[in-house]
Amino acid sequence: MSRTRPLAVVLLLAALASSRLPAQATYPWALPPGFPPPAIPADNPMTEAKVELGRHLFYDTRLSGNGTQSCGSCHEQARTFTDGRPRSVGSTGQAHPRGSMSLVNVAYARVLTWANPSLTRLEDQALVPMYGGHPIELGLDRSDRWLEAIAQDATYQRLFRAAFDDEQPVTRDNVVKAIATFERAIVSARSPYDRYHFERDETAISEAAKRGEVLFHSRPLSCFTCHGGIHFSSAMGTARPAMTVEFHNTGLYNLPGLLSYPSDNTGVFEFTRDPADVGKFKAPTLRNIAVTAPYMHDGSVVTLEEAIEHYAAGGRTIATGEYAGVGRDNPNKSATIRGFTLTPDQRADLIAFLQSLTDDGLLRDPRFGNPWPCQSHR
Amino acid sequence: MTARILRRSIACIAGALLIGSVATVAAQSSTPAALSIAGDVRTPLSIAPAELKDMPRTAVEVKDEDGRVVKYEGVLVGELLKRAGATLGSDLRGTAMTTYVLASASDGYQVLFSLAELDPAFTNSHVIVADTIDGKPLFAYQGPLRIVSSNDLRPARSIRMLQRLDVVRLKKEP
Repeated sequence: MSRTRPLAVVLLLAALASSRLPAQATYPWALPPGFPPPAIPADNPMTEAKVELGRHLFYDTRLSGNGTQSCGSCHEQARTFTDGRPRSVGSTGQAHPRGSMSLVNVAYARVLTWANPSLTRLEDQALVPMYGGHPIELGLDRSDRWLEAIAQDATYQRLFRAAFDDEQPVTRDNVVKAIATFERAIVSARSPYDRYHFERDETAISEAAKRGEVLFHSRPLSCFTCHGGIHFSSAMGTARPAMTVEFHNTGLYNLPGLLSYPSDNTGVFEFTRDPADVGKFKAPTLRNIAVTAPYMHDGSVVTLEEAIEHYAAGGRTIATGEYAGVGRDNPNKSATIRGFTLTPDQRADLIAFLQSLTDDGLLRDPRFGNPWPCQSHR
Repeated sequence: MTARILRRSIACIAGALLIGSVATVAAQSSTPAALSIAGDVRTPLSIAPAELKDMPRTAVEVKDEDGRVVKYEGVLVGELLKRAGATLGSDLRGTAMTTYVLASASDGYQVLFSLAELDPAFTNSHVIVADTIDGKPLFAYQGPLRIVSSNDLRPARSIRMLQRLDVVRLKKEP
């Protein structure tokens, strides 16, 4: 007895301590064998309670200045957290110059958004749509009066208490931490391609998709150069630092003058002012790409077939109008965009491979769905 | 550096060059291609992927681009070159030291190693022709054979869909 009593006391204390520290719990990623979990910031660990709080905040229209939009308005689960528009539209009707990016596997993203090399933390990125004015997205008031309504909601009182140990947990800092935690939880790793690749289920994808995979990884297409790795984006993955991310000018435009791209969408140039960066954007993940149309940073490519045609031509030619020009000749065009010729069967194979990356289960998973069924988000 | 090929030149190099601005994609064969070893060797070989199973096996662990540690297994390139009669071991000296090995993939991609880099008598670096990853056959886009250069910091020389190894001796023009 004398030996077991101190042990029992230690175990009791440990149990009490763990109940007060939900943030210390291990998050159940439930990834396929061989699929690495993402790196998580030490100051914002993953917990199920924080994911659940983040999910409620993500879909709550009270997080917009006029109560009409939430994060989920431009990041719809069924569209792999994009919105189906060429360019997103904010809560006050202002058009964003770029399209909504998919959030799947964003926890693995080494840089965020289409073209900002310095934005690397989801906690920082969340503040842009919340408070940004150019353009207005959610349009929240910087006085944070919206937090008062959140603090008085009984559901949130319970969720914040479960997620954070702070005496006054309803703060802007904790809101963005919870939203970022929810976004990190959205991991696509159960597509037919994943079953084929990680579980070696030879029947999971078609023979056409397997041929398409070979094309994807072979010359002269070499799609893997920019869309490599298990996330199909060279800008994702935990193995390399953010500073090594490459941005690419794919020859979508070639306008006369100093800026060869439309002035509201100059890519990395917007941040560096280096003329060599005009038209350079991040290669997004191709996971679930079949449900994220339209494509490219400005949604100017409508279908997957059209996207393949763009790369096959080595750049896009626009014959007439405001953006007329031969994108193939853009001086900043990436050397990897060289053009190629595919037979109709090979094009079909490539499309079949890209379609095999659709994780239907994720697009319907209630853990990532809207918990506020009565709210409209559009 | 101006270089002159002393011995037999390699027809495949010109054949692999892509002529014109838009490249076409070759039709894919469903039968596993044999690995050809040719050039400055005594006995040019054509090795079927299945033959590697009966040779001395070497395993290497490397980190892939996603940070995962994966285990490749296969046969040292040096072992294959030895079977083809390349100049290795104590004979690899003097003018033979300018010998290189050009590795070519079925899609035309090519990489180059010096012969000394591949000779176990010269280096502890394990460069293998792999036929399995984590105990399973390579995927079609990787294999059936690929080189894995385990000490390289970047994977660019770990050439997938390996089809040929051409051994070439160079001499600098005076």
